[in-house]
Amino acid sequence: MIDRRRLLALVGLGLCVGDWQGPVAAVAAPELVTPSNRQLASSDAGEFIVTLAERAVTGLADPSITPDERSARFRTLLNQGFDVPAIARFALGRYWRLASETERQEYLLLFEKLTVQTYAKRFTEYAGEKLKIVQTRAGGEGDAVVASELLRPTGPAVKVDWRVRRDETGFKVFDVVVEGVSMSVTQRDEFSAVIQRAGGKVDGLLATLREKTGNAAPR
Amino acid sequence: MTHPVRATRQLVLAALLSLMMALPGCVVLDSPEKIAQVEETQDPFEPTNRYIFELNRFLDEIVMKPVATWYYIALPNPVQDGIHNALANLRQPWTAINDVFQGNPDRAYVAVVRFAINSSIGIAGLFDMATSLGFPEHEEDAGQTFAIMGLPGDPYLMLPILGPSNPRDAAGLAVDYLLDPFNLIARSRDSDTAFPFIRGMVTGVDNRARNLDTVEALQKSSVDFYATVRSAYRQRRNAEIRNGAPGANAPAPRVSQEGGASGKQAAPAQ
Repeated sequence: MIDRRRLLALVGLGLCVGDWQGPVAAVAAPELVTPSNRQLASSDAGEFIVTLAERAVTGLADPSITPDERSARFRTLLNQGFDVPAIARFALGRYWRLASETERQEYLLLFEKLTVQTYAKRFTEYAGEKLKIVQTRAGGEGDAVVASELLRPTGPAVKVDWRVRRDETGFKVFDVVVEGVSMSVTQRDEFSAVIQRAGGKVDGLLATLREKTGNAAPR
Repeated sequence: MTHPVRATRQLVLAALLSLMMALPGCVVLDSPEKIAQVEETQDPFEPTNRYIFELNRFLDEIVMKPVATWYYIALPNPVQDGIHNALANLRQPWTAINDVFQGNPDRAYVAVVRFAINSSIGIAGLFDMATSLGFPEHEEDAGQTFAIMGLPGDPYLMLPILGPSNPRDAAGLAVDYLLDPFNLIARSRDSDTAFPFIRGMVTGVDNRARNLDTVEALQKSSVDFYATVRSAYRQRRNAEIRNGAPGANAPAPRVSQEGGASGKQAAPAQ
């Protein structure tokens, strides 16, 4: 019971702190990480995470902005800070290959909508948490892992690892690992369970996401 | 005429029996998809587990959550922190013993020093002075020790009331409960035999109270809460077993040339 409660709290927190889903890119960004920029990746990655967190707090925690404005800002920040196409595909796991082009497009749309709907408003609950970078290490294949601690006003610090990669437009987060729980893996397992329960049909997940986001089925 | 207590007991027994009869059993392996599913999830008792999960959620809703909410609202923060610290302090000797069995004498030393500091200048564990003195908290349990000894972490099990687990962790919970030094001492004294149980209850309430908001947020945001908990429980336990060290083959979203996700091959090791 201890473990369950604690891990749930941590996962919840991770979802609040760092989100990883987001805007729809119709065209997937090709992977441009080469060994030559590997060095770069690990040296500035920590700074990138600090900046991202600061921008999120200053832009989204402001209680005076409207929910719509907050959603719009959240969307922009996600687009800039997270490798959304890669994350979305990862979350669909092997079913990405089995999905039709139409299903993929709808999935990406719903994925974004669900994310914005769920997480943008969490920033209104911001209570002075601070992010402290502990270390940055190479994560293989040009990736870097930024290990950080989320310092809360009360309670123990929470370990958050940001897995980042550099592409042509700058750094992008592709996973957030909270106390050992990867957000991407958790979501992939969840989506996979929904699809399996729907008899292996991707549309089963789409139906669930439609219901969750209040989207109508496409005609 | 039936004695009222006995009648109640019979009623409870009947209710439990009918619950057991209603258990949906295992995943029926009647197709290649189902076999692949069980291989992937390592959850052959999924129908039963889901049933117990819903039962747990119901019990949480009618008992645990109200009690925890009351605890959270009624008790001042310093009191809650004191209770939390004292419970954590009581765990330190058992943590140290597990550290030893896991081959980590350095960590055992930290746990012992923590216990000494917090039990004395921390006033019976009410204040955590050790962390600021350079002895940060960590917890070990028998389930983790069994994992270090090589016991597998599958299949997944949902325990009534106690929540997500597996045979290894379930056995670990029992060993924790039976062999924790303070529980042992309490059981040996006639006046304190209820202590282990009460301690377990208070620990449960403390944890639930600390996570009221986050659990609710997670329930709201997930599309299959059972699967979310299953995945997160495994990842979390694996991280605890590794004592927070990075996983050997941590999976990550990666885009291949065709634009397909290749995460499946890198599923977390159990």
